[in-house]
Amino acid sequence: MIISRNWLKKYVALNCPVEELCEKLTAAGIEVEAVEKLGSVPAGVISAKILERTKHPDSDHLSVCKVTDGSNTLQIVCGAPNCDAGNIVPLATIGTKFHTEEGDFTIKKGKIRGVESFGMMCSEKELGISENHEGLMLLPENTALGRPLGELLEEDYRLELEVTPNRPDWLSHWGIARDVSCLLNEEAHLPVVELEEKTATVEGLVTVSAPDLCIRYIGRVIDNVKVCDSPKWMKDALQAVGIRPINNIVDITNFVQMELGQPMHCFDLAKLAGGHVIVRRAMPGESIVTLDAGRKVELNSDNLVIADDEKPVALAGVIGGEFSGVDRNTTSILLESAVFQSSNIRATSRKSGISTDSSYRYERGVDYDMAEFASRRAAQLILELAGGQQRCAPVDVNSGRPEEKTIVCRFERIRALLGTGVANGRIVEIFRKLHLKVADVTDESCVVTCPLFRLDLEREADLAEEVVRIDGLDTVPLIAVAAKSVAPICEDAIYTEQKLRDQLVALGLFECMHYSMVGAKSALSDTRFTEKDLVRLDNPLSGELAYLRPSLFGEMLATVERNISRRNLDFSFFELGRVFCGNAGKHPEERMELCLMMSGRRAPEQYGHALAQSYDFYDLKGAIESLFRKRRYANWSIEPATDGRFIPGCTAVVKLDGKEIGFLGELPTELTQTWRTPYKVFGAVLDADALLAGKTRSDLYKGFSLFPASTRDVAFVAESSLTNAAVLEFIRRLKLPNLESAALFDIFSDEKVLGAGRKSMAYKLTFRRSDGTLTDAEANKVYETLRKALAEKLHVELR
Amino acid sequence: MNIIGKTISSALAGAQGPIEAGTGLFTKITEELTGGAAISPEELCTRINRAVTEAQTRLAAAADADEVEAVRIALMGRNGLFQALSKVIADVPKEAKREVGKAFNCGRAQAQKWLDEAGLRIERAADASESIDVTLPGRMRTVGHKHPINIIVDDCVEIFRRMGFVVASGPEIETVRNNFDQLNTPADHPSRDRGDTFYFADGRILRTQTSPVQIRTMESHEPPVRIVAPGRVFRRDTPDATHGMNFHQIEGLYIDRNVSMADLKSVLQSFAWEMYGKEVKIRLRPHFFPFTEPSVEYDFSCMMCKGKGCPVCKQSGYIEIAGAGMVDPNVLRNVGYDPAIWSGFAFGMGIERLAMLRYRIGDIRYLYENDVRFLEQF
Repeated sequence: MIISRNWLKKYVALNCPVEELCEKLTAAGIEVEAVEKLGSVPAGVISAKILERTKHPDSDHLSVCKVTDGSNTLQIVCGAPNCDAGNIVPLATIGTKFHTEEGDFTIKKGKIRGVESFGMMCSEKELGISENHEGLMLLPENTALGRPLGELLEEDYRLELEVTPNRPDWLSHWGIARDVSCLLNEEAHLPVVELEEKTATVEGLVTVSAPDLCIRYIGRVIDNVKVCDSPKWMKDALQAVGIRPINNIVDITNFVQMELGQPMHCFDLAKLAGGHVIVRRAMPGESIVTLDAGRKVELNSDNLVIADDEKPVALAGVIGGEFSGVDRNTTSILLESAVFQSSNIRATSRKSGISTDSSYRYERGVDYDMAEFASRRAAQLILELAGGQQRCAPVDVNSGRPEEKTIVCRFERIRALLGTGVANGRIVEIFRKLHLKVADVTDESCVVTCPLFRLDLEREADLAEEVVRIDGLDTVPLIAVAAKSVAPICEDAIYTEQKLRDQLVALGLFECMHYSMVGAKSALSDTRFTEKDLVRLDNPLSGELAYLRPSLFGEMLATVERNISRRNLDFSFFELGRVFCGNAGKHPEERMELCLMMSGRRAPEQYGHALAQSYDFYDLKGAIESLFRKRRYANWSIEPATDGRFIPGCTAVVKLDGKEIGFLGELPTELTQTWRTPYKVFGAVLDADALLAGKTRSDLYKGFSLFPASTRDVAFVAESSLTNAAVLEFIRRLKLPNLESAALFDIFSDEKVLGAGRKSMAYKLTFRRSDGTLTDAEANKVYETLRKALAEKLHVELR
Repeated sequence: MNIIGKTISSALAGAQGPIEAGTGLFTKITEELTGGAAISPEELCTRINRAVTEAQTRLAAAADADEVEAVRIALMGRNGLFQALSKVIADVPKEAKREVGKAFNCGRAQAQKWLDEAGLRIERAADASESIDVTLPGRMRTVGHKHPINIIVDDCVEIFRRMGFVVASGPEIETVRNNFDQLNTPADHPSRDRGDTFYFADGRILRTQTSPVQIRTMESHEPPVRIVAPGRVFRRDTPDATHGMNFHQIEGLYIDRNVSMADLKSVLQSFAWEMYGKEVKIRLRPHFFPFTEPSVEYDFSCMMCKGKGCPVCKQSGYIEIAGAGMVDPNVLRNVGYDPAIWSGFAFGMGIERLAMLRYRIGDIRYLYENDVRFLEQF
């Protein structure tokens, strides 16, 4: 919504600078998004008085004038007919810069036909104030001399307002003036309309056959109008708010809409078959070619149209038809001022893709009462500017005036809701200044009747808003914030998730975040899913982004690839986020997943040997192990496995509480071969809901032995297929007394020394008693038992 | 003392031979003492003093830990001077015992002091000769980085938890009922358009706001309610510098008896202080939302220019943050709360916007690109 400050001034006195006006509007909920100064006069133009006029010695139409700016007298050569002595005029002094459509120029000292001139006296056109170029612009006689013209003229400003959808009454200068009057404490006045109404009636001029969609239709016929350009003031007003003048009739309808918020339409009566209008639903198969771009719009019975005997001539409330509009040959017009049902207009506008100033207002709701006043206002202006006579009394077809809503306003309730101490009297005063009707005022309450232009007011809460809006939200005090707990903190929904995330960060991983929408390729790169498992959007932004991610895997791959292409080769990423599944047999619809991916060097900041080390499977596995240990899971393992996303021999399954909760492994070459990195990439995808629910070991403190430990090493040669886990499990099952721990400390294979398919493994065993010092003899005894068991039962060759 | 002891014992382990060499005097004194010849108490004192003086000279001249250790063994060792002296003192006549004992104790303490000092001197000299290039890179512990969006979420949640708010959450695939109807959104409100909201074939949607969590919470809990709900929301916007297909919000809701706009304003002001510092002021402007009445938009005074006006706040001194208001009576009625008894406020804010303001990130898309060089800054 765009308004002009000077236009606004027609209805309410503006007793403050434009900046203050804007601040007040914004503070009252009418946000001023932009302010633009219109037609500004160049700096250097001042007020000056012509002292003397003599004829130019060498020209018939030029004069030589002596001009004073109050302190100095200058000689100016001038061609204007009205450069008479005594006139006060704008003078562009030397150095003034003009920006015109033809280009920029600067006023310089010059000689015109041999006579020196020290500036230029200006017309309104030259100053960009108007089109008037008949003579010099004349300033009032009492104008102070030597003052910048920009200060003397009341320059106009264009204000761009953001009007919230609940306040259609703000979509006009009058509506804004009503609030401004309240904010500035000035009276607002509607324009005076004096219109002589005919008494004769004409039957059948307007027929409303869809009264559910057309609440009121006021029609007037005016004959013998002369369609021509609008006068300057009208053009200026429209241009100030960004509307292109067309002709006097169309301009008046636009002017009244901007003035009063009532959309208007004019038909050329001669173009209406039957010379009348019918407001009806469109019939199936009907169409209309619109006025704006000559677009053909197909219609159906949901659309309300204004029709003549043959066809729709306007899409009601939205736009006129191409063939019924007013043009320069029009002499008789039908002036429409109507109220249409807002949701119907909104639906039509949206469906047809046509949005106009008119539909914008109807969608939000126009004032039932204003339709009548606006009709008179427009008729008056037409008679004034286009001549002609009304043919008959206006036709007003309506289904009755809607009832005004009344709200009981309890003052204490208003104060309680706002937290302010606003007085009863002030509350009533605000309502009255907003043109709400207040009655039955007591110490406790009053009854507010809301006019039809304020359909947004329905409850006490709405009235409370009016009070605080006008008094200012600054009046709401700051009070102490109580750290008030109304529910136990254990109901907190994200606490455990935050903790898991913190633990992942503590492991040195970088957290990533991706969009939830993905393409099919990304979604299906996680081979657990097929297209029928995916959750598909019905109206995706593009075909490429039609799915909700079934897994974090696909987008993490994209992030890895993006980083590698940007030569960020060293990374260890994780994402903890929601994923979606459309196959209830597989997964719940929404669940939390954890994805890890790492590649590159372990210590890129290092040098020499340390620099050469890159991440391998065990870095990823170690991250998971560290996480699980930190989370004190009671029952978990990582075991050899195969999975479609990873290289077969380098894949493991993660089990927690007996369930498979995810896999980790090395990404296959088919995924990574185009990536320009020398390093392998490792990834893991885990069910985060399972991680959050995993059973943990007791967190009770456990004592430890303060007696010394003794250690023994055992090394043996075994088949390559013997896993570390199998050895440890074997030792564990021996249940050896006082064996505190067994840990692998070396492993190697060497065909020449050990033979093919064999490897050497070495373990460090730690023995300790909890109740005393373990003797060498005791340790040796257990050690020998173990060696014997390894050789005889695990069938390894002791070294 | 301990350190010296260790050094000495380790020096002893491999160098038995040379230690014998330079300790002649002590050996002599020791031999005389243990040889059985009677020595007068005065002489005894003199010898102790001589031995200590000698120890001092030798220790001052000692060039390495081995030399110090040799002196220590000669004086303090199992067969050393003081061990021998202690046996001799047992035979000293009673009346002289006090004086000899004193010389013994003083002498031993003095000798120990010279030993300690010499040991320390030699260790320091050894330390002083060590040298490394301290400008070589350290072996860094890898430190992870939380995504800036989650840093802000955590900060917000922490601040509101301190005020007694509890975190609630809900699904991202929502019903039209929870996302729009129950929140008093008119049936033909533009936000429901298929151009603005993502729909599924079954009529459900991706939630466009975290507000449906309000509905879920109120429908499952009796008042009072005091929650915040951070989460991911979805709008059908083509991604650009300030829009994404999804972004994050944090929603607040407080329903109780006698909750007023003053409570709302104060909670938001407290949040602004905690999040951006004590000088940040809050400004409320009237606005319109279907689910609150009165509704406001709220601004924080610009944290960049302290409200003076700068490019970040477009010279206005204030930065628009988000919307809030008193929960609309219709919403309360919809969830079965009696608006005559209960009132409350709700607010929401965009996490990306807070993050972009906090870290001066110019383009929202950087947040979803996950470039290592971006992530490691947070």
